[in-house]
Amino acid sequence: MSGALEHRDVRLAVGADPGHLSPEVEAHLAGCAECRRFRDETLALDGRLRAALELPLPEFRRRVTPVRRYALAASVVLALLVAGGAWLFRPSSALAGEVAAHVQEEPDSWNGRDPMPDATIAKVLETAGVEFDARLPVVYAYPCPFRGGRIAHLVVQTAHGPLTVLLLPHVNVTRREKFSEDGLHGLLLPAGSGGVAVLDRDGTVDATEADAMVSAVRWEK
Amino acid sequence: MNPPPGGTSAAAPFSRLLEMLRPDLLRFAFWLARDRSVAEDVVQETLIRAWKSKDELKDPAAARPWLFTIVRREHARLYERKRLPTVDVEEVEALGDPALASDGDAGLTDLRRAIMQLPDEYREPLVLQVLGGFTTAEIAGELALTQAAVLTRLFRARNRLRVIYGLAPAEDVE
Repeated sequence: MSGALEHRDVRLAVGADPGHLSPEVEAHLAGCAECRRFRDETLALDGRLRAALELPLPEFRRRVTPVRRYALAASVVLALLVAGGAWLFRPSSALAGEVAAHVQEEPDSWNGRDPMPDATIAKVLETAGVEFDARLPVVYAYPCPFRGGRIAHLVVQTAHGPLTVLLLPHVNVTRREKFSEDGLHGLLLPAGSGGVAVLDRDGTVDATEADAMVSAVRWEK
Repeated sequence: MNPPPGGTSAAAPFSRLLEMLRPDLLRFAFWLARDRSVAEDVVQETLIRAWKSKDELKDPAAARPWLFTIVRREHARLYERKRLPTVDVEEVEALGDPALASDGDAGLTDLRRAIMQLPDEYREPLVLQVLGGFTTAEIAGELALTQAAVLTRLFRARNRLRVIYGLAPAEDVE
C-alpha cells in the first residue's frame, strides 16, 4: 500500500523513530522495497549509534583537565559532604569493593614514572582538603569524586613498586581492614576522622608501608 | 561498621539505584557538554540533587528519565552559573579526545565524532531517545517542543549521520 502515505512521510517516520513505526508505516513498508531498504539501513545505523553513544567510561579519568577540576565552590563541596552522608556509613566491605572498583577505572594511574609537579599535587590535596608529606614520590594525583565528596587519588613510587593511596577525608573508616578485590590487594586504615586506602596490584600491601602512608597524612580542619 | 542512627535501610536501595545508573548519566552529560570534566561535575551535582529530592521519586522504574531530566537541568545551570565557554567542536576534534576512541573500530570513532558535530538541537533529542530510552512524546515534553518538531529533529540528526555512515541521505522534510 503505497497510496495512503507518501515515501517522504514514511522516511520521516523511519528516520525519526525506526523502532516504533505505526501500522500505516508498516503497511507501506510491506509494499515498498525502497522504503524497506531505507528502514533496514536506518536500523543498522541505529545499532551502531547505540554502540557509539555508550562511551567507554574508563577513558573519562585518563587525562587530568586542569582548572575546572578544582572549580567546585566551597558551598558545593559542603553540599557534597552533606548529601553523601548516607554513603559514609556503609559497611567497610562495601567500601573495599568501591575503592577497588574506583582504582580499576583508572588503569593508567599505575603507569606514571616521573614525580608530579608539586603545584599539581598541592592543588589536588587542597581540593580534597588534606595534606600529604610532599617528600614521598607521587607519580599520579587526581581529585576524584567518591561517595559524594572529593578524595585525593595518589600513586606513590616505593622500593617495591607503585602503591595507590586514596585519601578519604569524608569516609569514616573505623577499623583496619585487609582486602583483595577485583585483582587488587589493599588495606583500609583509619586516619583521623577519615580513612586511607592503600592498594597494590602485584601482591599484599606491606603493612609498614601502609602505616607510613597514614602517618604522612594530615586532614585540613 | 555500624549503620548510623536511624539506619540506612531506605537509603541503600536508592544509593544502589544511583550507582547503577551513574554510567549512563555520565555518558548523557558528556554528550550534552562534550567535555569530560564538565560531565563529571554535572553528574556529581545531579546525584546531590537526586539525593535531596529522592522522596519525589515514587516509582523506581521512572528513575532513569527522572535522573536524565536532572542532568539536563544541572547542565544548563552549570553553564549559567559558571558562564563556561561553549565547546568548540573543531577544538574537540583537534584534541582527538580519547573518550571517543574505539579500539579497533575506526568507524565507531568516526560516528562518535559525527555525533559531537551535530548541532545541539539535533544531538540532544537523539541522545535522549537512543541512550535515554525516551519516547518522542517524552522528548517533546522534556524539550518543550511539539512532537512534530521532535520527529523532524530526530530525522535530520539521523540523516546527517547517514552520510557519515556512507549512506545516501533522505530528502529533507520541511
